[in-house]
Amino acid sequence: MSQPSGTDQPSGTDQPSGTDQPSGTEQTSGTEQTSGTEKFSGTGPSARELLPTATGRQVRATLAELLRPRRFLAGRAFGLLVGSTAIGLLTAPLLGHIVDLVVDGRPPGAITTPTLLLGLVAVLQGITLALGLSQVARLGEGMLADLRERFIDRVLDLPLEQVERAGSGDLTARVTGDVTVVAEAVRSALPQLARSGLTIGLTLVGLAVLDWRFLLAALLAVPVQLHTARWYARRAQPLYASQRVAHGAMQQQLLDTVGGARTVRAFRLTEPHLARVSGSSVAAVELTLRGIRLMTRFFGRLNLAEFIGLTAVLVTGFLLVRADAVSVGTASAAALYFHNLFGPLNAALSLVDDAQSAAASLVRLVGVTRLPAPRRPEQRPVPVDGTVEAKELRHAYVPGHDVLHDVTFSVAPNERVALVGASGAGKTTLAKLIAGIHRSGGGSIRLGGVPIEDLGAAVAGRTVALVSQEVHVFAGPLAEDLRLAGPDATDEELTAALDTVGALGWVRALPDGLATVVGDGGHRLTAAQAQQLALARLVLAAPPVAILDEATAEAGSAGARQLETAAARALDGRTGLVVAHRLTQAAAADRIILLDAGRVAETGTHDELVAAGGRYAALWAAWTGTRETHDGTRETQDGPRETQDGTRETQQQDGTGETHRQVSSREAHRQGPVPGQWQPEPPTPAAEH
Amino acid sequence: MRTGSPTARTVLTGAITGQLRQVLASAGLSASHQAGEALVPVLIGVVIDRAVGRGGLVDLIGWIGVLAVVFAVLSTSFRLSARTGERAVEQAAHQLRLSLTRRILDHRGGAETGRLPGALVATATGDTDRVGTVNRALAAGIGAFTGLLVGGVALLVVSVPLGLLVLVGAPLLLWLAHLLGRPLERRSHAEQERAAYASGVAADLVAGLRVLKGLGAAPAAAQRYRRTSRESLAATVRAAQAQAWYDGTLLVITGLFVAAVGLLGGRLAAQGDLTVGQLVAAVGLALFLLGPLSTFGWVNAEFAQGRASADRIASVLGAPPATPAGNDSPGTPVSGRLDLRDVRHGTLRDVSLHAAPGELLGVVATDPAAADDLLRCLGRDVDPDAGTVELDGVGLHTLDPERLRAAILVAPHDADLFEGTLRENVGTPAAAEAQVRRALTAADVDEVARALPQGIDTPLTERGRSLSGGQRQRVALARALAAEPAVLVLHDPTTAVDAATEARIATGLRELRQGQTTLLVTASPALLAVTDRVVLLDDGAVRAEGSHSDLVRQDAGYRASVLR
Repeated sequence: MSQPSGTDQPSGTDQPSGTDQPSGTEQTSGTEQTSGTEKFSGTGPSARELLPTATGRQVRATLAELLRPRRFLAGRAFGLLVGSTAIGLLTAPLLGHIVDLVVDGRPPGAITTPTLLLGLVAVLQGITLALGLSQVARLGEGMLADLRERFIDRVLDLPLEQVERAGSGDLTARVTGDVTVVAEAVRSALPQLARSGLTIGLTLVGLAVLDWRFLLAALLAVPVQLHTARWYARRAQPLYASQRVAHGAMQQQLLDTVGGARTVRAFRLTEPHLARVSGSSVAAVELTLRGIRLMTRFFGRLNLAEFIGLTAVLVTGFLLVRADAVSVGTASAAALYFHNLFGPLNAALSLVDDAQSAAASLVRLVGVTRLPAPRRPEQRPVPVDGTVEAKELRHAYVPGHDVLHDVTFSVAPNERVALVGASGAGKTTLAKLIAGIHRSGGGSIRLGGVPIEDLGAAVAGRTVALVSQEVHVFAGPLAEDLRLAGPDATDEELTAALDTVGALGWVRALPDGLATVVGDGGHRLTAAQAQQLALARLVLAAPPVAILDEATAEAGSAGARQLETAAARALDGRTGLVVAHRLTQAAAADRIILLDAGRVAETGTHDELVAAGGRYAALWAAWTGTRETHDGTRETQDGPRETQDGTRETQQQDGTGETHRQVSSREAHRQGPVPGQWQPEPPTPAAEH
Repeated sequence: MRTGSPTARTVLTGAITGQLRQVLASAGLSASHQAGEALVPVLIGVVIDRAVGRGGLVDLIGWIGVLAVVFAVLSTSFRLSARTGERAVEQAAHQLRLSLTRRILDHRGGAETGRLPGALVATATGDTDRVGTVNRALAAGIGAFTGLLVGGVALLVVSVPLGLLVLVGAPLLLWLAHLLGRPLERRSHAEQERAAYASGVAADLVAGLRVLKGLGAAPAAAQRYRRTSRESLAATVRAAQAQAWYDGTLLVITGLFVAAVGLLGGRLAAQGDLTVGQLVAAVGLALFLLGPLSTFGWVNAEFAQGRASADRIASVLGAPPATPAGNDSPGTPVSGRLDLRDVRHGTLRDVSLHAAPGELLGVVATDPAAADDLLRCLGRDVDPDAGTVELDGVGLHTLDPERLRAAILVAPHDADLFEGTLRENVGTPAAAEAQVRRALTAADVDEVARALPQGIDTPLTERGRSLSGGQRQRVALARALAAEPAVLVLHDPTTAVDAATEARIATGLRELRQGQTTLLVTASPALLAVTDRVVLLDDGAVRAEGSHSDLVRQDAGYRASVLR
């Protein structure tokens, strides 16, 4: 085949196009922010400890591991593509043969056979190519799937502490950016490169077969091409990286401005925001234009290489024909051969930066897959019940700055304890230590009598659950979201869990009920609904110990009340540790631990602490906001308490009896027939008065 | 914004005419590039005929010189055409982006109605890019047409029958390829989408990593991902195989086309109607012409996409305003008397509410929706279905919305912070330095700032997500206080703040707003305790009114709302 145009079609008209076609631009902008993100988090203010990247040897070893089970597939793919390319190379000599026939003055009928062969070549080449590309896809995609599964497996196993040290941006960039970059490379660059590489190699062989001097002439273009490729790769990488960053920044700014439109209007910030959008847009535009300039210079240089090579081949042909060393047909075939190279060469060279990005991303993926897997010994001690014992716990995020000092307390099975204290008192840190998310800097934690470090991640995960105010709705059907917590739960069990947390009403009202697609790109849930869902997951996971960290804070004041009821029901039948802002939650607990600057300052029941007149009493007074009218305070405190069911009243009669008695009475009730009823809602103190 | 409602057509033509000079320049250069491309195969034929075939050195040098000139022209034209074309694309997209932003931020609102922020951002980035791309498609189309013209004429000059074969055969071939490709492409597109789903699931699981870890659900999640990944693998392999067969088929029909040209050309050459060089040129031209012809297909697709995008842009630009704009200004100075008379809107049922100038009025709404509706009416995000909202006795609907917002500031519960330092976030243009200081202290942001590495000059990233919920609320509250509007409406400003801090804030708020009208829509007892008077909205209607302590003592429903 001859491709007689200056820059050859794929690269000439619509292809100069890594930037030309919309898909190209979108890809660079939207999907992958890999290198950009990495760079920027790298220069971030704190010394982040990024997740590891792999060495070249590790990458090769991983690739070899992935390839080994597929070696026959790889062999077939390679063989078919080589066959297809070799068959394709017959086109030029056949056309050359037609030229020779004409030059020799053969009759028109003689042309028929070589043209029939041309047709046959086309058919065979097409079929082998299709087969070969199919095998390449199976090979590449299969390896990719294995790799991404290994990656996610390891990521889900990583200690949260390590992820947090690296900054969640690092992991997010790897999972969204790097996986996409490698997938794109496997999907488009790999087959393209395989085809181009084979065509180039075999064409050069073909040229040498025609006459070795044609090969020499063609090779004259190579220095220019190599130089151009290196020149381009050096500039393209950083430029495209900054392009992606600029595009990401523009998108972020638009999201800021558009998402906050109501605020922008309320504070009359329209002009400054327009200026910001314009600024970020101009920056992105400028970088895109710089990219185009680079791209066109790249193709300009390749045009020069094409001209040099084509001229050299034509001159060689001229000299060889004049010396009678080759026929005119052979010279034509050589010219056509070289022309056929324009496409594959340009394609291969413009894949240089794709290949570079893919390699960089691969290094970051393999780096995570090669992290040592956590040890999973077969025999782990199993907690006997839901007790929590903390002894002399200490913790520091920055060495020397302890946020917890010798915190000691214990929680009986099925007891509900509220953790209160000002911001920064260490409530959340304590919650994370007990949930096994952070390791303590000193002291010990025992769950059900077993030291937490002896439980291992899997058992600890089943023993204690932490629900924080950070809610995430997993994309997909609602039922699937819930089944993350209870993989074997039936629809009835899901419904029961939703009912427990008072979410069944709105879930039934969703367009497809439990099958409604929620989360990113699906039906949007309100913050309060998402939090109810988190509580429903807790019910399904059914751990003996549950920790709620401000799990009701996101909702407005009216929604918070519903959530508190939901949380209380979700805690039924397990040990509960509740980090609470709203002191009504504390008042409803069996016992309160007040933390102050990392120390246990007060502990006792609500009534005890209020009566003691210490810090908690002051907080309670501030919360109820009725300091001036002391009587009113009493009244309002009593109001809700009296509305609670029999258990509560018993407690009050018990007065300020020790915790154990309260626990047992509470426990007795929980084992009763209607577990959700102990805190009816909404309470109506009026009826009691 | 244009007068009259924008349509897809006006958006598209606006994008083109706005960059007309660049588009025309790019089109002219593209034509020159394509003409050069068409001449290259012709020149190869000439070199073979005149030089290689006859052995003329002077001819060789001369024609290679011509080839060099053609290469130089086509290369330069391509380069300049691509640059001017891209500039036209980007500038048109940029202009549209700004128009969209301006419309979305317009004080009369309405552009966000029924659209999620993500969708609006996608319109402002993806759709504007696609409309801009029409400029390049137009230039490329003109260039391709020129290439087709030059190549066609050259072929017809070489040989009329061969020219006709190519000029009829090439479009036919592309049409055939299109027919074959359509079902394959459709299928491959659908399967690629399913493949993309796997990476979406992975990102989603990682985003929810803390939740998974908190529940010990990581193993279940890993298993689910493996399942998704395998399904996605099957889909991608199917898509790739469809694509592979499409590529193979294309190769077959192109090869057959070349064989046909070779057959006819060879026979003509053997009969002496064609020189050898012309035969080579004809084969080359036949392949070249596939390029411009397929460009037409691309241009067509780009225009179709551009029209669809232009339609989405036009519907945002032409979205009806949520509230018609009045022209009056509030009286100066604003005394701050606020009257709602029989307001009916959403869940609000005939609400009448009056705040005297300088009053600190608490509003407790048992239904969160009622609070939202009230806020929307006060901020004039909507006009009530019935009844009026008046500031100093003047209906809000007669006021210019921007000037109205200078007088009444409604700070929503889920207030957004923006990129910039904490100081920049609080100090909106409306706020003087002293005001900012006072507000920072009143909202207890001083304490927040102490915990930050660079105090109030710490940059807030990702819309303030670098702060905790409580810190964010305090900064947002400080911003609202710093603006010192004549009337300030605050909605649940302290839900994520601990009790002690909340009490401090209540005191600070009370002092700072002394003498200025303030509405506190909240159920927080600590905040309500500092109000002059509280109104209880139950079931969308005013049910009780009085001081907080009186209401707590006397009204059981109120007590139920604020204390439990």
